[in-house]
Amino acid sequence: MMKKWFLALLVSFPLAAAEPWPEVKWEVLVPKHWNPAKKFKHLDFSKLQDSDPRAMELLDEIKQEWDNAPIEHSLNGKKMRIAGFTLPLERKGDKVTEFILVPYFGACIHTPPPPANQIIHAKSKIPLSGIQIMMPIWVFGTLSVQRGDTTWGVAGYGLSVDKVVPYKEKKQ
Amino acid sequence: MRAVLLLALKSAWARRLTLGITLVSIALASALLLTVERVRHDARENFSQTISGVDLVVGPRTGGVQLVLYAVFHSGAATHNMQWDSFDALSHHPAIAWAVPIALGDSHHGFPVLGTTPNYFEHFQYADQQTLQMSAGRVFGEVFETVLGNTVASELGYHVGDRITLAHGLTETGPSHADKPFTVMGILAPTGTPVDRTVHVSMEAITALHLDWTGGAPMPGFSIPAEHVKKFNLIPKEVTAMLIGLKSRSDVFRLQRHINHYRGEPLMAVMPGVALDELWQTLASVENSLLIISVLVVLVGLAGLVATLLAALNERRRELAILRSLGASLGEIFLMLTTEGLMITVLGVTLGYVLFAVGMEILAPMVQTQFGIHLHWRILTVNEIILLLSIIVTGFLVSLIPGWRAWRMSLADGLTPRI
Repeated sequence: MMKKWFLALLVSFPLAAAEPWPEVKWEVLVPKHWNPAKKFKHLDFSKLQDSDPRAMELLDEIKQEWDNAPIEHSLNGKKMRIAGFTLPLERKGDKVTEFILVPYFGACIHTPPPPANQIIHAKSKIPLSGIQIMMPIWVFGTLSVQRGDTTWGVAGYGLSVDKVVPYKEKKQ
Repeated sequence: MRAVLLLALKSAWARRLTLGITLVSIALASALLLTVERVRHDARENFSQTISGVDLVVGPRTGGVQLVLYAVFHSGAATHNMQWDSFDALSHHPAIAWAVPIALGDSHHGFPVLGTTPNYFEHFQYADQQTLQMSAGRVFGEVFETVLGNTVASELGYHVGDRITLAHGLTETGPSHADKPFTVMGILAPTGTPVDRTVHVSMEAITALHLDWTGGAPMPGFSIPAEHVKKFNLIPKEVTAMLIGLKSRSDVFRLQRHINHYRGEPLMAVMPGVALDELWQTLASVENSLLIISVLVVLVGLAGLVATLLAALNERRRELAILRSLGASLGEIFLMLTTEGLMITVLGVTLGYVLFAVGMEILAPMVQTQFGIHLHWRILTVNEIILLLSIIVTGFLVSLIPGWRAWRMSLADGLTPRI
């Protein structure tokens, strides 16, 4: 009798209860069926000549396609933890209240910048101490999908931060 | 025990000159350490509090740090301007929520003059997203109207309704714009940022001032009176920089790239936070070396303390031996010597704090005018308390050395007269 009850309990509380902030990888933020090269399938690069101005134009177009990268709407409201590099936006004293999270080091200084679906705009109600520029970090919080401006800006990800933990390399 | 401590006090008083000098050296060392720590902390805080809510600073191509320094902190000078057309085109970009131009170059009694639009007062934010507030009057509307930062008004004693003239260039010795006086329309509430030290005028005013100028000097034999400037086209041709706020802050990289690749003219966009971090990284080594030097000075002061106490020990052989023979235990002798060292350290640190507090009071206005850094009056920060406590602990630890020496000295050693 006791055993059955215990089993029922186990089933009704799946693993999610044990992990309130499941880990999310950056790839998940890119919609599965999105293919930036789709538009350019008909193009044959071998037919372009060296230093063809069209090649440059094409590159610009592909870049633009990346800039307008769509986001995964199903992630709205999902609790998660994600690792990335920080770029502080707003400070309160030496603490940070708003920052941008990007998947790779130096994303803010070097071009090309990451596409819109690889940038998370994180806000924290409690000012966070010890956040520096391009610092690897685990962010725990709830993801939200921000409606973008219709003409230029595409939608982006926002994150309301519950807590942050410095990122440490996993031991092999 | 009390008798021993009283004796220790009296004995120290008998050697007040040498001990006093040691005390002063510890006091100076701790005052130096506190000052370095306070200035370092406040300078950093000041800088990060100066700008908030601005996503990009845009200007002609130069260094990112330099652009932010002159556009936001009004320190240093621009090497080049950007075209008004570029400002106009960029400010209509769909991703941009607001954009304000900034034109620098003129001054008023050493305070920089900033040409901008009334939008500046609405959008510019400092500290933790605080907007600028008027303490008196209103924002400028007409061409020859100005809004003063709080320090400008208080230092020069201006009130709403006063008339002021601006100087061309950044020094008082340069030619002046005396023919076109401005009326003070408003005074801003204090912010603790460079805004306090700025004279704000409209973009049109900057153009109007220089209508009859050529090559950095008034055109000889030709001048346009203030009442006629409106007959001319006052749309500026150039701006020094522009500040941008975005609709969505995650667009910042895309817009940054758009501006860096702007086809009209070579421009650059920097995120103010990134530029300031770059600046800190360059300054970090200077900061750290200052801190290391002041820590070393403290150590030198404490080494002086030990040397003084040890030197005194030789003179005090008789004294200690007599105390022993009168029944003082070894422990009491040890305690007496160590207490003396600790006492001098504590007194030194206290005196150092007083010196520091008085020095800050005197230095703060100077630092504010010279460097625009606002030093806050606080009793002590946590860091400073830690520093002071570690001086005291180190002082105690090094005082154990003379205590231990006295312990080792035998009774007979002190009583046997030597010739």
